[in-house]
Amino acid sequence: MNPQPDFSDTDLSAWLDGEGSAEQRAAVEAHLRSHPDAAAKARLWSADRDALRARFDAVRGEEVPARLTETVLSGRGWASGRWAQAAAVAGLLLAGGAIGSALTWQWQAKQVTAAQAGTAQGWVQRAVYAHSVFTPEPRHAVEVRAQEEHLSRWLTRRIDLPVKLFDLRDEGFELMGGRLLPDATGKSAQLMYENAATKERVTVYLRKPDADAPTAFRYQQQDKLGLFYWVEAGAGYALVGALPKERLLALAQAIYRQGVAPVPAPASGPGR
Amino acid sequence: MSAPPAFRQQLLAAIPRLRRYARSLVYDAATADDLVQSALERALNHWRQFDPKRDLVLWLLAIAHNAFLDSLRRDKHLDVVSPERVADALDRTRSHEPDVGLQIDLRAALARLVPDQRSALLLVIVEQLSYAEAAEVLQVPEGTVMSRVSRARAVLRAWLDGSARANPASGASAKPDLRRVI
Repeated sequence: MNPQPDFSDTDLSAWLDGEGSAEQRAAVEAHLRSHPDAAAKARLWSADRDALRARFDAVRGEEVPARLTETVLSGRGWASGRWAQAAAVAGLLLAGGAIGSALTWQWQAKQVTAAQAGTAQGWVQRAVYAHSVFTPEPRHAVEVRAQEEHLSRWLTRRIDLPVKLFDLRDEGFELMGGRLLPDATGKSAQLMYENAATKERVTVYLRKPDADAPTAFRYQQQDKLGLFYWVEAGAGYALVGALPKERLLALAQAIYRQGVAPVPAPASGPGR
Repeated sequence: MSAPPAFRQQLLAAIPRLRRYARSLVYDAATADDLVQSALERALNHWRQFDPKRDLVLWLLAIAHNAFLDSLRRDKHLDVVSPERVADALDRTRSHEPDVGLQIDLRAALARLVPDQRSALLLVIVEQLSYAEAAEVLQVPEGTVMSRVSRARAVLRAWLDGSARANPASGASAKPDLRRVI
């Protein structure tokens, strides 16, 4: 069992890890075919690899301890606490096990205050109606198609708000287009997005907020429809869709990011 | 200015990965979560240093790795693993883990590796990073990662083989189920 001068443990190890050029890999494979001892070692090493992965993969599925979540959410004063709040309101974080934690109580208190303040805002309801009315339309779902360059300019002029065409492609949604809608005191805009694979549609309702509109981030469920709504930088947003909360939150987050960014990132790069 | 919401949201999403890496580095679950917590705190304190063009998980793994090295320096005893301590730590978790014998063997074997080898092996095998990515996390050249992983594999396997010989099949030792070899 002489060690081959041209073949080392390092070569074998790199081969198992998928490293090296095609030629290097082919050389290792050729060596393994003609050297049963090396092949046996390769089998053992790859079994060790699989066992290690299996051993620690379970950790990823474990419930995250509340103290870690709290570290991220509350560490160094999260200015608005908005996403934490949204996620908590939507029951995405700290679900189970965290009852009794200061954060949960704090959020619950906020929710109660919001309810007491009577924030069943009319514009949010209009966003839901508009969603329900237009999303089932096979042909006339939108007034102006996304391809038409003036969509953004037109809506911006009409509702007197800079309308950004949010890019939700990372979340699997393509902009179909938009329409102008009557609002209580003026006009509002609706952007519609569709997931080509699932045919799910979500809408983003945009309006100029009332002067005293609360800015908190909120989640509401109305039958199958979920909606996230918030007020940011002089614009009111309501995202409506019949999607699981997690997915809707991801979309809301993407909109929020692009909404507050000085320039919306059009292609948004290799997102995770 | 504190870390922006979007950044925190990404941190939240990365926690399971960080916990896995930490758990593979240190054998005790509570100690591992301490490590994760300290990595998260560091990330929040230094969020401005994160270049959004880079991979956040890699950045966090590097932070966790540095936190791990710091903890080694702080508590020298963590570095030198006494077998009793490993067994004790593992006994506490054994009840809810399937195939206890193999897992204890693996973890005991991991504990034989020097920290440099252990982290290279875990980043490449468990976290499935490329050598280039692991080199970025560990701040060493790629070639160093390659040789550390290879060395670690050999040591791990040798220890598993050795423990098999020391405790043939029935296992006359006090804790027969601590010795099982794949």
